[in-house]
Amino acid sequence: MKWILAFTLLLPLVSFANDCDVFKEENPVLAGGRVKPYLVLANESIKFLTGKSKFNDEAPALTFCRLMLQQRTGTEFDFPILVEHVDSKKLLGVDEGNNTQSASSLVQKKDLIRSEIMKQKESNSFKKDLNKVWARIDLYEKIVSGNAYTVYTGGSENSGWSPLANYMDQDLKQVIESSVAKFKIEHDSNYMLEYKFAKSHLFSYAMLVALVGIFMAVLFKSMRWGVILAIFTLIIEAIGIAIRVMISGRAPITNMYETVLFSGFGALTIALVVLLFRKDKTFLLAGLGYNILCLFMMMFANNMLDSAISPLVPVLRDNFWLSTHVTTIILSYAALALSWLVANMTLVKMRIGSLTKADYRYYQDLTYTCIKIGIVLLAAGIILGGVWADYSWGRFWGWDPKETWSLIVLLFYMVIVHGRYSSWIDTHRFIVLSAAGFMTVMMAWFGVNYILASGLHSYGFSEGGAIFLGSFFLVQTIIILICGTKKNFKQVAK
Amino acid sequence: MNKIIDLYKKTERLLSDVKFAVVIISLFTVSLIYGTFMESYHGTDYANRLVYKSWWFMGIQLGMFLSIFMATVVRLPMKKRLYGFYVIHAGLIILFIGSFFTYINGIDGQLQLLPNTPSSTVFINDDILRVEFKNLKRTFQMSLPYSYGQKSLNTPINPDVDKIIKVKSFIPFAERDIQWVGDENHHSSQHSSQYMIFNENFSQDVTLSLSPRSDYKSSERMGLLNVHYMPEFLKSCFSNVGASGFIIWNLITSQCYTPEDKGYPIGKTDKGARFVAFTHGQTLLKFFPDFAPVAVNDDLTKNENSPFRVLSADLFKEKPNLFLFGKSVAYYKKRKKTWKVEDLTNDNIVGLPWMNFKIRLLRHSNDTFPIQIPKAVTPIQDNGKIIKGNIKAVEVEVGGKSYWVRNDGPLELSNSKLNVRLQILPKEIKLPYQITLERFKMNKNPGTNDPASYESFVQLLDGRGATGIEKHHVYMNHPLKYDDFTFYQSSYFPVGRNEDGSEQYGSAFSVNYDPGRFFKYLGSLFIVLGSIWHYIINRKKKKVLV
Repeated sequence: MKWILAFTLLLPLVSFANDCDVFKEENPVLAGGRVKPYLVLANESIKFLTGKSKFNDEAPALTFCRLMLQQRTGTEFDFPILVEHVDSKKLLGVDEGNNTQSASSLVQKKDLIRSEIMKQKESNSFKKDLNKVWARIDLYEKIVSGNAYTVYTGGSENSGWSPLANYMDQDLKQVIESSVAKFKIEHDSNYMLEYKFAKSHLFSYAMLVALVGIFMAVLFKSMRWGVILAIFTLIIEAIGIAIRVMISGRAPITNMYETVLFSGFGALTIALVVLLFRKDKTFLLAGLGYNILCLFMMMFANNMLDSAISPLVPVLRDNFWLSTHVTTIILSYAALALSWLVANMTLVKMRIGSLTKADYRYYQDLTYTCIKIGIVLLAAGIILGGVWADYSWGRFWGWDPKETWSLIVLLFYMVIVHGRYSSWIDTHRFIVLSAAGFMTVMMAWFGVNYILASGLHSYGFSEGGAIFLGSFFLVQTIIILICGTKKNFKQVAK
Repeated sequence: MNKIIDLYKKTERLLSDVKFAVVIISLFTVSLIYGTFMESYHGTDYANRLVYKSWWFMGIQLGMFLSIFMATVVRLPMKKRLYGFYVIHAGLIILFIGSFFTYINGIDGQLQLLPNTPSSTVFINDDILRVEFKNLKRTFQMSLPYSYGQKSLNTPINPDVDKIIKVKSFIPFAERDIQWVGDENHHSSQHSSQYMIFNENFSQDVTLSLSPRSDYKSSERMGLLNVHYMPEFLKSCFSNVGASGFIIWNLITSQCYTPEDKGYPIGKTDKGARFVAFTHGQTLLKFFPDFAPVAVNDDLTKNENSPFRVLSADLFKEKPNLFLFGKSVAYYKKRKKTWKVEDLTNDNIVGLPWMNFKIRLLRHSNDTFPIQIPKAVTPIQDNGKIIKGNIKAVEVEVGGKSYWVRNDGPLELSNSKLNVRLQILPKEIKLPYQITLERFKMNKNPGTNDPASYESFVQLLDGRGATGIEKHHVYMNHPLKYDDFTFYQSSYFPVGRNEDGSEQYGSAFSVNYDPGRFFKYLGSLFIVLGSIWHYIINRKKKKVLV
């Protein structure tokens, strides 16, 4: 009896799975302004709707399909939609400690959300969150109504598409299969590369290799294995970056996610190059450490760094300048990140007391090497930016917040560099200031987009970054206050 | 003489000291940080006026220049060890010189192009006050200061012509502040009120006035709702509309009555138009209230001079029309087919029959009327738009009286002696050639509404040479460079619809002239080469200090 009951309950689920079989993860769809595999559309949509990469531990493509077919098959189910802001939660009746509200209830509250958005005259974080919830409900409704999934009907790669909603009364299996077959005949299958890329989880492997590398270097004191694994990490990342370039057809540095990835890659490359001239383990550790930090952020700071490949704003559509200017700037940030790590390492070691005076001088010299590379690259990057601005807008400099902050970073390090020639900045202050200096980099890199968010460079704006930056500033300040006291330094100086 | 040399030596020692460099770079950095935050809260224009183009910021930059210059001078003659240093610092000096040229002679403006309309006027971000004496046929212009707050000027517009018009002050960022004023010339029948109209989603204050001297009018459109502000005595007629629906309003005695009250007959023409006629003194007045409230002459022209108006209340039955009489309100109740008149006292809320709207009287006055006085505020920006403080205003004194000129429209003053028009305008530069927008094209990302690119196809006609018409294609990252000027695509604006119903756009170009360009490029090159020399090539020769 039990078995029969269980079987009848499972039956609709099974038939579902069958219906969804036709929506293969590698099917091409037009979404967000370009052709991509269905897998990527489903991953991005489920991520955006729920804030998590999976719903009920099932493949996002299946969830997406079940949502899409629920009206057709009469198997409607409760789906959670992310609501983040405290006030939005209050408005929409979300319990404290919970981050989601069911889609069916939110759909009915659309009027309430819209009127609340209209009531908020200035764009505060509450209004921004409500706008996001609105966008989520909108996407949810689009998926359910069959308007999010597109079917190729023939014609140009970017316009010959029609929403699935138009075919809901037909045999979906036949519609989908013939459309996929047609697309494959008429256009090249660039999207398959993206499908394989999304499936491969390349950057997870890169992180694994880098972690093993750092363990080899620290625990087993094996420089050789550390370097070999670091090179492997770089190779995997280079492949990942190259594939992203092939998919998007532009330089791999157009949003926060890509700049973080590239800075990690750049820092490890710089560290290995410097290692050629100065055989020093510290560089390897700093390079691997920073690379892992970046990969870690890419994997877990999803709210802040969006991995989606989306079309560029018109201003940035110039591959030559984009790649030279942004790459130089990000490489300089990478070099400064190395100096920041070495400086902090020195501070912590000094606090623990495992540092001789010679060591101390030596670390200071390593920090200085990184800073020198950083400022040369930064000055070049700022100038390239000026030349780009002059070339396309006819003005070299416009006090835009992003360019002003990059100048602030350069000036801050200039203070350090010049101060070293006077008696004001001694070895001790130099280490402290180098550790603190990266806060200006973080401000220029993330703060302008997450805190200031205005001007020509505001393309990467997203919420959630302010908390991240705030915590970074706090932690860095605490490290300096605890480890950077004069007393600690005097102990070393003895 | 020795003293002067001594003083120079001291100054040189101070300016060339690396400690001075550290201080001045730190100062520069702190002001930049301040500037970026100001820009983020208060907008680009405010930050420019407050920081980037202020005298003290220029002073800090001068300090930077002197520090770099002196530091280089004292290290002459050249030492081989310092070659990198010389190149970097020479680059910086050249860069500063280039920036100085740009500052003195550069132009940064906007060119707005309407479709198929030649234009050669570039607007730059400086304000002027333009005063046009119409009777004297003379025009004067005065540059307004580039200040961030209210600035007193107290200067006559042109000292050698007249002292009649004095410019008292300028506010670069102002909000309209309502002030209620009154004097002995004010009629108590010209009352004014302020209301709040709201429902659960929406709330708006409406200020209305019958006074001709007020900045507020007697009617207002709020979406579909039309609001009419009327003298208080008319409310009795709305509560008592007769079968005809006509209300007769005597402008001289300030009375109202209906044709039914007086027993005037309602006639109909052959074509079915209703009319009412009555005698006033010797003349017979005829009205077709369904078409116009004013009397009509025998030849069917309007007779605006008669002291009567006849309103047809029937005209206001269909669409949402709200009549306000100061402390009372009237509207038509469609379901009950009656006019409803209700009293509005302070704190009393009256519900309206449209979309749950309610109305509340905030202020009512018989002896004062509302005017708008610009008030200086710190502007606030939101997503690149100024949401508070987007008015510019100049206070002028004409014949002992104060007036405000705002940038949203000209101020015209006229009396027996004077006929003058005052305007706040952006400064203009005339190009010696004309640019015409042939076509504007916007491409969107496939399947979305986000613009992928904007492109303008323009014609350039230079009357100075015999080159004829040149055609150019201007789009993002592909500006038009002509005659040392750079025109780049900065934005677009809708200007109506094409014949086929598609949206038509005008194009906005940013226009730039930079006389310091060569020096900036040269300086930049020096800086990059110098830093590579200093930090990377020199490194090998130096022993690491341990």
